[in-house]
Amino acid sequence: MVRESRHLLMTVAPGASWIVFFLVLPSAYLMSVAFMSSGTYGLPEMPLSLESFRRLAGFGFLGWSPGNLYTLLRSLWQTLVATGLVVAIAYPIAYHISTCRARWRPIMLLAVVVPSWTNQVIRTFGWMNLLAPGTPLSSVAEALGLVAPNMGLYPSNFAVTLGLVYNFLPFMVLPLYAAFEKLDTAQVEAAQDLYASPLRAFRHAVFPQTLPGLLAGIVLVAIPAFGMYVIPELLGGGKGMMLGNLVANQFAGSANWPLGAAGAILMLIATFIGLFAMRRIGKRLGGGEEVVI
Amino acid sequence: MSRRSLRRTLTGIWWLTLLFLYLPLAVVALFSFNAANSAASFTGFSLRWYERLMGNEEILSAFANSMILAIVSSVVALGIGCFIGYGMYRHRHRKLGWLIVLIYLPIVLPDIVFGISEMAFFVQIHRLTGFLQPGLGTMIIAHVTFQIPFVALIVYSRFVGLDPALFEAAKDLYASPAKRALHFMLPTIKPALISAFFLSFTLSVDDFVISFFTAGPESATLPIYIWGAIKKGVSPEINAVATLMLAAVAIVAIASLLFSRRRPV
Repeated sequence: MVRESRHLLMTVAPGASWIVFFLVLPSAYLMSVAFMSSGTYGLPEMPLSLESFRRLAGFGFLGWSPGNLYTLLRSLWQTLVATGLVVAIAYPIAYHISTCRARWRPIMLLAVVVPSWTNQVIRTFGWMNLLAPGTPLSSVAEALGLVAPNMGLYPSNFAVTLGLVYNFLPFMVLPLYAAFEKLDTAQVEAAQDLYASPLRAFRHAVFPQTLPGLLAGIVLVAIPAFGMYVIPELLGGGKGMMLGNLVANQFAGSANWPLGAAGAILMLIATFIGLFAMRRIGKRLGGGEEVVI
Repeated sequence: MSRRSLRRTLTGIWWLTLLFLYLPLAVVALFSFNAANSAASFTGFSLRWYERLMGNEEILSAFANSMILAIVSSVVALGIGCFIGYGMYRHRHRKLGWLIVLIYLPIVLPDIVFGISEMAFFVQIHRLTGFLQPGLGTMIIAHVTFQIPFVALIVYSRFVGLDPALFEAAKDLYASPAKRALHFMLPTIKPALISAFFLSFTLSVDDFVISFFTAGPESATLPIYIWGAIKKGVSPEINAVATLMLAAVAIVAIASLLFSRRRPV
């Protein structure tokens, strides 16, 4: 037993201590920064204080301002809308792939996934090219009166939503496809034999079976979307900022490390609530079946 | 809706989605061959941006940094990660909850929190001790940290897929632990090691946020260079660099398709 324990220690210790030293300690340090005061150049200083959380809630030198609150609400809203749209597109796509001939399926999946292998900065840059003022897409939108003349579709909140949907679509298609592929069609046939309407057949025979995949996809999409930095930074402009940008800005230009760290804590809380909620929902609705994350 | 019209609608959605997925990439590639200076209109075919690229030392050094970072970090992560994978398999009957939490932490942590934690930590260590100056070294450390879990999980799942009798057989033949490792373990997990290496490499090349926050002034990688160029005001050269990176991805995609064709997954 002692030998076994030593064996475990020898194989696992280097990697485990690497992660502890280079990730657990740094994030613990960042957490602690949130409870310090902001000194020269925004670096953390003693004494301990909760000033950073007050600032995060919008209380500044000039009284309360809603800027940070807007940023927070915008992050939640963008995450919600983007995840909803991703589900709406990915559901039919995943179903479609699963009904095509077996030899085509790997190619179709690859076609969906390949864009996500390219660098995020480049993908987002592609959308900047497409949505800038004067491009065909922007001109159409202007002609339809959707945007003000010469404004273009970017920078805007709409561009950020589009960028998020584009970025995360593959992460929803893959788990949903996995669910559709092992769909028990006997249940659907049974529903049809019992004269269930297509809608009812879907609701009772198809949807519950795809739920684990759907939940896994929501975790893979919503959590990183909430903490997104690149897309709002490039496509959003000043009024499209999300929590990730608020946090990042506190470590660059207008530095205030404790405020940034407080934002990071908020993001972590949201992440773990999200993970936990999905597990709970998955367990309850999936009849005890674990959601694989 | 009849079955046929449902089928037709789905096919329509499928092709529209493909258009949506590839249009931005196609636009980048198209404008890299643009003769004009502006990104607003395409005036004619030219290779001038690619020629300018070859003489741009900043881009060449960013490319070199990307490659050094990806290769070194993948090798280190492979070395560390495969031991964790084996340890997790060997001791899978024990309670390893703490280890699972550690392994999943780099995966679930939002990129921005990951990057900023490391950056803040490295800056403070550097101020106190003089070690860990931001640069390629700190970037390698950060990349290894997010690559280890993927290597460990790939190696672990390869071991789980093996017949336990194989381990018994190797023992019964009185092979020493070292010989077992060299002649049995290593060859059997070779495919897992290869795919773990390629995944680590891809993750490293693909990463922007974590690199961005742990980089020093001299250690810009290609994505960081492109980011800077976009922020400064778009130069058509970016389209050319980006297109070369897209071409590399396309080659890998086709290769993986051919590979999976040859061997049904």
